[in-house]
Amino acid sequence: MQRIVEALVRFRNPISYLVLLGLSITFLNGRSSFHQNHLENYSLYFSQSIYSFSHHIENYFNLKKINERLLKENKILIDLQLKSNELKLYPSNQKSKKRFPFKVITANVIKNSFLNQRNFLIIDKGSKDGIVSEMGVISDHGIIGIIKSVSEHYSTVISVLNQNLKINVRLKNSSAFGSLSWKGTNPIDFQVDDVVVNSSLINGDTILTGGMSSYFPLGIPLGKITSYNRDTRSGYYKINTSLFEDPSQVYHVYVIENKDIEEINKLKKEIK
Amino acid sequence: MNRGTITLIFSFVFLVLVQVMVFNNISLFGYVNPMIYLLFLVIYRFDNDQTLLIFLSFILGFFIDFLSQSGGAHMIASLTIGFLRPLIIRYSFGVTSEIPSTFQNDSRIKNKYLFLTIFILIHHLIYFTIVYFSWNATYLILKNTLLTSVFSLILISLLSRFYKKLNDT
Repeated sequence: MQRIVEALVRFRNPISYLVLLGLSITFLNGRSSFHQNHLENYSLYFSQSIYSFSHHIENYFNLKKINERLLKENKILIDLQLKSNELKLYPSNQKSKKRFPFKVITANVIKNSFLNQRNFLIIDKGSKDGIVSEMGVISDHGIIGIIKSVSEHYSTVISVLNQNLKINVRLKNSSAFGSLSWKGTNPIDFQVDDVVVNSSLINGDTILTGGMSSYFPLGIPLGKITSYNRDTRSGYYKINTSLFEDPSQVYHVYVIENKDIEEINKLKKEIK
Repeated sequence: MNRGTITLIFSFVFLVLVQVMVFNNISLFGYVNPMIYLLFLVIYRFDNDQTLLIFLSFILGFFIDFLSQSGGAHMIASLTIGFLRPLIIRYSFGVTSEIPSTFQNDSRIKNKYLFLTIFILIHHLIYFTIVYFSWNATYLILKNTLLTSVFSLILISLLSRFYKKLNDT
């Protein structure tokens, strides 16, 4: 104990300097958003280099599992291809040719948090791979989040496990719209709000992305309804859902680029 | 409370007010604002407590930042220069026995100006680096540091003479 005190007294100048420096950096961080942004980028750079190292090691041992997964994924993709071929065969299903403005970029998750109330991921694709902020991120059985900030080779993603994020969804059978958000407890337990009471619901109905947010295309299956109750006072359903895939255990994701987003944002601005 | 302490307190308040009200608004050539508040860290006795100086320089920077609505750059710069002061003193005044007890007491003009120049240059470099905080602004940082340092140096050396007279009488 005495030694510790002695050391403290002896190094009191550097210690007090460092403490006060920390204080002033906090002060700077709080007062100037420019510096906050820069410091955030530096911290992203440091955490990214640490996590990508551990990711390399982890990845090696997961290779077998990943291969199996890729095979499964390929199967689903081939299924999809067949389905689209069917559409080609029966062109009356689509009277006019519809544009599909979404493009997919694959990425790996190198850091995924799920213990906080507001969770973030880091993925290993960045501005060099054409990623900009506010792109949607999906996995093969659901959605993961929305890109927040981007550095040259990495970017951070606001996870769907973040209570600030609400996602526009619709139901498969009743085609009612609502917004999906995390309850904050179990990573697959979500709730859907803002569904009007006059639409009919069935337990087990699939929840799809609504296609109104310009982040995600219409019709990605996310989960199913486990239970719902009718809130007569507010006039909206409260629906409990569980996702098909646990977002905290995803390693391979697809970033969705909406090529029309500038056009849409321009129109949105004109409305305001 | 001896005379030295009172002078110190008085000059702290005086320098903060003058810096914020007068020198922050000079904008010579559009951007040069000399920083005379550093004079406080210059006249602080060389043989006085160093830990106290670190805290004082932190508080000094805090007040300047607070009153001139800047982020925290003055605080970090003056804190760092307060911490580095013994090193600069040792470098510019030579070995321990030759270090004077105050800045004003020494008669070796060359050493005094060496001390002031290093002191001001380091402070300004840190300050402008934090203000611009980007590699692209390196030229701007250097230009601002040099120009502002020249004017700070002139003003601080003039004002430090005034202190010497005060102490003699």
